[in-house]
Amino acid sequence: MAKYILRRLISVIPTLIGVTLVIFLFQRLIPGDPAVAMLGEHATEENVARIREQFGLNRPAFLDRDALVEGDLPGFFDSQYVRYFSRLLRFDLGDSIHRRIPVAQTLKERFPATLELALLSMFIALLVGIPIGIASASRRNSWLDGTTMIGSLLGVSIPIFWLGIMEIMLFSVFLKWLPSGSRLSPGVSITPVTNLLLLDSLLTGNFAGFWDALKHIIMPAVALATIPTAIITRMTRSSMLDVLQEDYIRTASAKGLSERVVLYRHALKNAFLPVITIIGIQAGSLLAGAVLTETIFSWPGIGKWVYDSILGRDYPIVQGVTLLIAIIFLLVNLLVDISYALLDPRISYD
Amino acid sequence: MKRKTVFTGFGLLIVLSMLLAACAKTGGEAPATTTKDTFIFGRGADSVQLDPSIVTDGESFRVTGQILDSLYMFDKGSTTPVPALAECKANEDATVWSCKLREGVKFHDGTDFNADAVIFNFERWRFTTHPYHFASQVFEYYEAMWGGFDDASIITEVKKIDDYNIQFVLSSPMAPFLANLAMDMFAISSPTAIQKAGEAYGTPTGGCVGTGPYKFVSWEEGTEIKLVANEDYWGEKPKVKNVIIRVIPDDSARFLALQAGDIDALEQAVVEDLATAENDPKLQVITRPGLNTSYLAFNFKIKEFQDIRVREAVAHAIDKEGLIKNFFGKYGTVAKNLLPPGLLGYNDKIEDWKYDPELSKSLLAEAGFPNGLSEVTIAEDVTDADGNVVYKAGQVIPLRLYYMPVTRFYFPAAKEVGEGIAANLTAAGFKVELYLEGDWPTYLGSRRNGLLMGLYLLGWGGDNGDPDNFTGYFFGSGTQPIKREGWYQNAELAALLQKAVTLPDPAERAKLYSQAEQIMHDEVMRIWLGHNNTPLILSAKVKGYITQPVGAENFEYVYFSD
Repeated sequence: MAKYILRRLISVIPTLIGVTLVIFLFQRLIPGDPAVAMLGEHATEENVARIREQFGLNRPAFLDRDALVEGDLPGFFDSQYVRYFSRLLRFDLGDSIHRRIPVAQTLKERFPATLELALLSMFIALLVGIPIGIASASRRNSWLDGTTMIGSLLGVSIPIFWLGIMEIMLFSVFLKWLPSGSRLSPGVSITPVTNLLLLDSLLTGNFAGFWDALKHIIMPAVALATIPTAIITRMTRSSMLDVLQEDYIRTASAKGLSERVVLYRHALKNAFLPVITIIGIQAGSLLAGAVLTETIFSWPGIGKWVYDSILGRDYPIVQGVTLLIAIIFLLVNLLVDISYALLDPRISYD
Repeated sequence: MKRKTVFTGFGLLIVLSMLLAACAKTGGEAPATTTKDTFIFGRGADSVQLDPSIVTDGESFRVTGQILDSLYMFDKGSTTPVPALAECKANEDATVWSCKLREGVKFHDGTDFNADAVIFNFERWRFTTHPYHFASQVFEYYEAMWGGFDDASIITEVKKIDDYNIQFVLSSPMAPFLANLAMDMFAISSPTAIQKAGEAYGTPTGGCVGTGPYKFVSWEEGTEIKLVANEDYWGEKPKVKNVIIRVIPDDSARFLALQAGDIDALEQAVVEDLATAENDPKLQVITRPGLNTSYLAFNFKIKEFQDIRVREAVAHAIDKEGLIKNFFGKYGTVAKNLLPPGLLGYNDKIEDWKYDPELSKSLLAEAGFPNGLSEVTIAEDVTDADGNVVYKAGQVIPLRLYYMPVTRFYFPAAKEVGEGIAANLTAAGFKVELYLEGDWPTYLGSRRNGLLMGLYLLGWGGDNGDPDNFTGYFFGSGTQPIKREGWYQNAELAALLQKAVTLPDPAERAKLYSQAEQIMHDEVMRIWLGHNNTPLILSAKVKGYITQPVGAENFEYVYFSD
């Protein structure tokens, strides 16, 4: 197993290099220039040229053919990508073009906000999706099953921005129970430990802070959780339906085991493999897909930040965030694969 | 039964969490008190930087305007420059301005505001060799308003007479000198703070340090900027202790946050929300006078547009009244000048082109297009920034109407206006292709390179209330074809504008700007569409909010009252 994990971790490296290449290529295929995006309506030729030079945007994206023709080998390699990659080897993600602050620094501040939101959403999705999926499968064609199917279909189809706005209208404007956005109320502070506010407030015994953070996160987390909840519910249901028809389940029931034991101990374990795959995919998507939720609830995470950066052509930010999301995707996939082996003794990686 | 309870329990978990969280409202810190001493302004986008000399976006100035003061400022609700940190007088030919600086003023970092501080700021902006004029920064406004950097600068020297007296020496008279001094971009920062922070000055980590009514506290990027009242402020003391300028990107969510009482004021509301706000006794709608103009421009590299009859046909095809009524609502007015009404040189005598599609058709026929115009020809090769030919002379392309991909304060609904204009033009014999060039940076980039090859929509908002900031900025350099202005060229107009900016007598200046408007009208060189007053929605409890036609609005006058 250890060998397998090591092998998988090593294989992450070429994948990540591939990711950097693709992102680099795509960004440069989009028309529009960071210098123009930065200088706006007033931009003069000279200033655009100066900013392009300052950030190395005047260099070719990958390799300089002209320099090679002239026999200038270092010039041939002096491209935007090579500069970026050599910085990356030193764990330097570069500076944002617009604000000129290190991307890593902002990432460190904003990523925990998205992570916290994604974790809570996943928690909600699992807590709701799996039991309902199981219940629905065990009572196939009942009213509960029908309601679950309609509910999960709605969950996949409801646009997040619409749901978010409805939540705000109901809980913030009419009932005035919950704040309409951001992470904390003015005047409330939580001593940072991990920058996951719910966790930090508990760690530091700041219960007022915990409640405030919970009030702020609950609506965006529910909005973000709708799609994964619906997908996990459907996947759990269909996977359980397959397993429940197996002979060993009938045997277990015939032996007089309670329905609960049959469902949770015997059926669920075998039905869980495809569900785990889906959970893995959804976990990655939650991080990458938080843009809408973060926009509506003015949540200070990476989603809105990277969206703005794409519009502003702030290449270093887009590169940094994409790389981080790619790493997380790969790690989650690895965890999913490892969990297969843990759940199913027939699967072995040795 | 037992299982059912479990499932129902899971189903209700979320609602319970919400209830639980709601129950906690009375516990812990009470946000309710913050409405008394905290003014929260909601906006759609974050500031780019808090060093006002290197940015051009209004969202940066909205914040720096609270923290930093300029030597002059715009009087409450007007475009008239009045003394702030200095009072200046010009010599006879207006080439030397002697300024007495306000004494006893300190920057927020405790250092003195004096002649050295002013000189440091002006020299930093002007000299590209100055140690704090960083290569990665562009002091765009200095270059635009003061003629250029280094030796090109109209300000040739800022002389220290003593600690509180300085002189600005100009290479030529400059009529909008005081208006320029009042601009937010020329606010005075603490030299010590700049030296200490270096390139990080103005960033979320560095903040900014001035002499203004509010002090910088923190900037959570993309989220909010916190300010606290400067108790030692030299002017009218701030009435509210804390200010939070919060980013809520979604227009609807921002309005809901105001309705929920989470913010106290906002800008950029959608038309439906404005209507709701007008009927809500807990809210109030106020407007900022529209010192802006939206327009439809021609690209003069198109052969057909070089014929004035075709341009006139376009002008008569557009139902401006209808467009403004439908898409700007009651906040817009029809434009017939580039200058907004009330500005020096506004020419009210101009008779706007009548909306007359039949006249358009006959003008088109006269110009040789009896069957209308659907395709146009490129007059000369057009190249991009790298010198590659993008459009070849003689190439025939469809007649395009480029619309802006974003909403701007001068264009509340750019795409819809584009569709309206396309419909107007179709009724008058044109067949246009509504064209989306790309997102905003792409659009601006193509415009800058003269590559919006057809008719295109854009606009302009004034920076200092001076006509030179409109007409001069656009066409003052037109001795050569101006790429970014659709290759327009008019040497006579350029000479007129270059002269107008140097005249000290406002009446004489007004004559020249009026004349410039007439030339532009007679040439049908561009079609001015509208001026838009910007609506702001405030909680009814917010009092003392004064809208400014130019420059940042001053939050120090704001207070709460039932």
